[in-house]
Amino acid sequence: MSDFSKSSDKKELWKSLNDYNNDSEVLKFKHDEFLEGVTEDFDPSKLSGLSRRKFLALLSASAALTATACTDYRDKGEIVPYNKRPEEVFPGVANYYASTCNGCREACGILIKTREGRPIKVDGNPEHPINKGKICAKGQASILNLYDPERLREPMAARKHVSWKSVDEDIISALNEAQKNGQEIAIVTGVVTSPTTKKVLDDFTKKYPNTKIYSYALINDQQRRSAWLETYGTIEYPAVKWNEANIILALDADFLGNETGFVENMRKFTERREVVKKTDFNRLYVAEGRMSATGALADYRLRVSPAMQFEFVMALINEFSKRDSALPIDADTKAKIRRYSLAKFYNQVGKEKLDYLLNDLNINRGKSIVYAGDTLSKEVHAAVNLLNELLGNAALYDFASSYKSLLNLSTHKELSQLVDKMKNEKVGVLIHFDSNPVYTLPEDLGYASALKKVKTVVALIEAENESSALGNYTLPINHLFESWGDAYARGGVYSLQQPVISPIFNTRQKEAALLTWIAGDANAFNQELYHNYLMNNFNATIYTKKNSFADAKSFWYSALHDGVVTFDEKSQTTKFNFAAVTNLQTKGATNGFVLHLHNNYYIGEEKFANNGWLQELPHPVSKVTWDNYAAISQSTAKSLGVENDDLIEVKVGNKKLTLPVLVQPGAADNFVSIELGYGRKVIGEVGKEVGFNAVLLMSMNYDSSPYVYSNVSVTKAGGKHKLASTQEHHSLDDTFVKDIHRTRKIIQEGTVERFIKEPDFLHKGEEEKLLGITREHTYTGLKWAMAIDLNKCTSCAACVTACNVENNVPVVGKDQVANGREMQWVRLDRYYSGTPEEPIVSHQPMLCQHCDNAPCENVCPVNATNHSQDGLNQMVYNRCVGTRYCSNNCPYKVRRFNFFNFRDHFADAYYENNLTSLVNNPEVTVRSRGVMEKCTFCVQKIMEARSNAIRDGKELKGSDVVTACQQACPTTAIAFGDSNDPGSPVAKLRNHDLSYHVLEELNVKPNVTYIAKLRNTHSEEIQ
Amino acid sequence: MSSVDYTQELSVVEGKQALRELDDLIAKPLETKPDKKFYIALSITLSMLSLLVIGLGLTFYYGIGMWGNNNPVGWAFDIVNFVFWVGIGHAGTLISAILFLFRQKWRTGIARFAEGMTIFAVMTAGLFPLIHVGRPWLAGYLFPYPNQHSLWVNFTSPLLWDVFAVSTYFIVSLIFWYVGLIPDLATLREKTNHKLKKIIYSIFSLGWRFSNRHWQNYEMVYLILAGFATPLVLSVHTIVSFDFAVSIIPGWHTTIFPPYFVAGAVFSGFAMVQNVLVIVRKIFNYEHIITIDTLEKMNKIMLLTGSLVGYAYAMEFFIAWYSGVEAELFAFLNRALGPYAWAYWIMIICNVVSPQLFWSKKIRRTIPVMFVIAIFVNIGMWFERFVIIVTSLSRDFLPSSWAYYTPTLVDGMILIGSFGFFFTWILLFTKALPVVSMAEVKAVVDGAQPSHKDN
Repeated sequence: MSDFSKSSDKKELWKSLNDYNNDSEVLKFKHDEFLEGVTEDFDPSKLSGLSRRKFLALLSASAALTATACTDYRDKGEIVPYNKRPEEVFPGVANYYASTCNGCREACGILIKTREGRPIKVDGNPEHPINKGKICAKGQASILNLYDPERLREPMAARKHVSWKSVDEDIISALNEAQKNGQEIAIVTGVVTSPTTKKVLDDFTKKYPNTKIYSYALINDQQRRSAWLETYGTIEYPAVKWNEANIILALDADFLGNETGFVENMRKFTERREVVKKTDFNRLYVAEGRMSATGALADYRLRVSPAMQFEFVMALINEFSKRDSALPIDADTKAKIRRYSLAKFYNQVGKEKLDYLLNDLNINRGKSIVYAGDTLSKEVHAAVNLLNELLGNAALYDFASSYKSLLNLSTHKELSQLVDKMKNEKVGVLIHFDSNPVYTLPEDLGYASALKKVKTVVALIEAENESSALGNYTLPINHLFESWGDAYARGGVYSLQQPVISPIFNTRQKEAALLTWIAGDANAFNQELYHNYLMNNFNATIYTKKNSFADAKSFWYSALHDGVVTFDEKSQTTKFNFAAVTNLQTKGATNGFVLHLHNNYYIGEEKFANNGWLQELPHPVSKVTWDNYAAISQSTAKSLGVENDDLIEVKVGNKKLTLPVLVQPGAADNFVSIELGYGRKVIGEVGKEVGFNAVLLMSMNYDSSPYVYSNVSVTKAGGKHKLASTQEHHSLDDTFVKDIHRTRKIIQEGTVERFIKEPDFLHKGEEEKLLGITREHTYTGLKWAMAIDLNKCTSCAACVTACNVENNVPVVGKDQVANGREMQWVRLDRYYSGTPEEPIVSHQPMLCQHCDNAPCENVCPVNATNHSQDGLNQMVYNRCVGTRYCSNNCPYKVRRFNFFNFRDHFADAYYENNLTSLVNNPEVTVRSRGVMEKCTFCVQKIMEARSNAIRDGKELKGSDVVTACQQACPTTAIAFGDSNDPGSPVAKLRNHDLSYHVLEELNVKPNVTYIAKLRNTHSEEIQ
Repeated sequence: MSSVDYTQELSVVEGKQALRELDDLIAKPLETKPDKKFYIALSITLSMLSLLVIGLGLTFYYGIGMWGNNNPVGWAFDIVNFVFWVGIGHAGTLISAILFLFRQKWRTGIARFAEGMTIFAVMTAGLFPLIHVGRPWLAGYLFPYPNQHSLWVNFTSPLLWDVFAVSTYFIVSLIFWYVGLIPDLATLREKTNHKLKKIIYSIFSLGWRFSNRHWQNYEMVYLILAGFATPLVLSVHTIVSFDFAVSIIPGWHTTIFPPYFVAGAVFSGFAMVQNVLVIVRKIFNYEHIITIDTLEKMNKIMLLTGSLVGYAYAMEFFIAWYSGVEAELFAFLNRALGPYAWAYWIMIICNVVSPQLFWSKKIRRTIPVMFVIAIFVNIGMWFERFVIIVTSLSRDFLPSSWAYYTPTLVDGMILIGSFGFFFTWILLFTKALPVVSMAEVKAVVDGAQPSHKDN
């Protein structure tokens, strides 16, 4: 220390001379230590105004801005969490609501599955006594209509969007004006099955007394109804107890395909095609000109053109009257029918078949039914009624479950009167009440041109159509799933419709629109308008009728919950009126071609023409998609010099239509059949230019039925139109490929006689079990398997559609189907054997067989397809690179490859939008392009059942899982479950004498078992 | 020509050229600027190559749907082209490896070129397994690499064997080719005055100084590599044939496939080598190096392998009938009589009938005729793969799923483009590297061998 103080005077160490001399400057520096300013006091006011907090805020804000500028952030819509969860809605858990389908006049009960408030699947309502949990393909696919991007979204006046209020005001004043001027107010509707809608229409008529209601349907049962009116005095014809019929003779009646009550008919018909419990098969004779879905199932098929059906029935009656003099026919009639001889049909049909038919009908009096199709004339129906009456078959009529008629269809006379009034400007307002008469009415009525003379034309519809395009006001209505409603289509069954989603667009319930106009005040509308009206009507009619102990509100809720109210309806006692049939006659046989127009299978009258899933469903017999065509027989094609896809011109009087040919084995000669419902002009992107409009051939002045025309000329038109079919059309004559399905044992069949005599005939003489050279995997525990009873399969495609909806199967479009790239996971294979004139048709649903030794699995280089412990052949989409090797090596060719991103590829990404993507099942991956896919046995349902079982602490059972196809099958032909459980239906079917696997000799060990079809012929051999 | 003295070994190189002249001749294309013809040829191949680029662009953007493939026919032009190009490659390895082991001196004139073709053909072929997948961006899944999913490739899949077989083949061929090039690169290094070229040649000639010791090591390595490559000639196409033979589809599931495919590959490979060399020897004046004798020998091999292939066709039919399996018999009858009969008969005429003309010595030695026949063979061999793949798939077990396959424009673009890809490489090769092995040719020139006679 002291050393330092000493050195202050004289330094031993110095830096400079100044330092050595203790210069004052240096001393000052030394004293101050810090430079000037450094030691000043801290003063915040002198600092920058930016606070630390602010600085950090700015720093983070600029960092955030920089970061967000680099992302592709877009507003992806709102995601609003439930801060208060709606009652009954659990995220991830589906809710089911009962309702009623309005796709056609059947009014089947449906059960709509919703997830987080959006409908994703429809199935039949098991509580409904008519359809018992099953619905058709149209019903299954109707969900796509809800999400159709081309649904109308806003009311339009003169093609411009306007508000409902201004529309209501305009229309109310137009209605009042028409009423004042004494002009007619016409409402054109389709078939009305809802009693409350009927009441609304009645109320409307009360308010505007000049109103007249017209009802018309392109495909209707008017001929049948008028025949019933004449012969039994009731327009409400009964259902048929198909399950009690031993012998069925169907005359051009597609009662298992698309005619009145076919879902119920299929179930009842196949009750008598049961091979597991008993074998009291019914026998189906089908006399028809075309090859219908029902004809394809026939045990005996008789080629009789629809123009000859009257003669055929009369000849049968004649034959019975000759055989049995005790029949209650008066002499006069007897004499008249004498001229109809069955001998005429010997050549065409074959005497043997006719003898079998006559004997069978004779033996089974009271236990058989003769049934004519909707498209046949009133006279045929009357003759059929007579025949059934004579044979005592009226016992099979179920009058308690008759087909109701709430609003009788307008006759052609009434409709032409309407057109006359329109032409003379006597119609002030015309309302198309969910109908499309411009398309459905015959052109020679002149409806479309008369429409121009009507001042106010209003269309209440879901999507733009031919009729709305010619009108002033196009008003969007709710889809079925957004609607309230009811239906009373069958005796003793009243069903309710409830909305499961609030209207997606600015649409209204069509009845509510009418109610607003009835109120005469645009402000009268509210969302509950029709709801309340329906409830009131329900209370007034159904509740009082039921005499329930519950109070009105509880009863209403329980009815809504069940979706259906049943009550005993007194069956009308009806008596056959023999007088009505004494003078039956039609024009005799004629020259030239016979034309038969009939209903299509999947696109309905007009509602479903813009539905891709339905357009893409293959025809049950021809397997053609996205088109209709002229079906002609092979010999007719030869004489016309045409082949498949060649254009022909069909001419009825002065009406012409050019359309492509499909050579249909089994069709009658000199006969053309065309499906109705195609060739729409004003429709969305999907239905546009699909098929040919055969309504153009229809006439107001038909001979006996609006659907059957004689003296038709058919000529080759030149040119081609490619029909897209999911199956190649091999000529039945080609010996090279003929009957391969039999020689390869893909289709194995037998007859009932053979089976009764020798139940093990199918596998008799078969060699020992096939040997494997590898160690087999043993499945302990559950093992999933399916069995398909071919005796029950009618090829209705309900399973295909249900699978499409459940598993998010995309629509690919006509060009891709033509290229063999359809994506449906279930294929309904059809095989012909026999001759082109008398083909035997076999159906086979073909889906992934989930083979134990799956050939697809060992060839996948990346293990994207593999086997689960419970026997599923799994597909891992994420891992799949798309080599397609698995598909090549699949002997069943049931794998489907995404050649494109089909949602993006089809019709300029028609189905790739925010609306349509709502249809997707959230439990199933939406597959991208380049990925292989196939049937999964609805693995998502298996997983759901498994997690439920785990939650409940139970063991998972095979019966806990119902696949989509199984659930949809109207005939319960599909069984699914645990094949290791000997008591399960699947295991029983697998061990049945008639069970077989397709391509068994490959030893791939499929887990889909088929039950061989038995044909109920008078023989031990299939012809 | 008429009288051949069989006691004397025929000289492989005609005339008795000075070794230096041979060097100059072979190195000439590398030392001169490309002429107009070269640019015309290159512009043609590049145009074809651009079709490949466009075709692949469309495929990658839209999906495999741009091709004609459909549901039963999952593989079509993609795999047909793959097998075709792998087959083309086989002649190169056979010539350079197997013929080397058999001490066939005539191979020296054509070995380098044929090997080059192998490399380019395998490169072309290698495109197809990658582009034929539905999601090419995931093609990496085909390689076994460790990953956090613990997912491994499926070693039972023949397609995976393909990945190994083809990549091994490519690597071994490339090394073999390169090792053979080393002495020539050194020669070029010595010859060139160009600075850049000198550097490149110096690097790639790996310090080769023509020393005796170098030659000794070189010969040993070359022999070992030839030994390596020899089994690959057989194994690669055997494994390619397993893609089909291991499956269960009638028409594919055939035990005859491995030898039949190998014979076919050699057959088509020789045809392609012959085709290209006929042009090369003309343009570069190599007639005396790639002699008519050499071409004749190649034609003889084509005759042999063509007959083997013809035998295999017949045997397939016999076995199909003899097996008594209905589906099998149908598959073969369907080839000859079904909707693809036209393809089958093109194949038979090109592959079985046309090479039979080589029984005639005159035809074997007439360049225009042999050239046409070789083109026929190439067409026929392409159709052979088409017949096997497409015909079998289009009509397999269930008649309900049968469908006819029609190629699209994009399929055609990719096929033509693959030729563009191949020939672009060939053209660049002729201008970048000696297409004939200088060292080997010099070794087989008359008088090059040590002898007790004076030379």
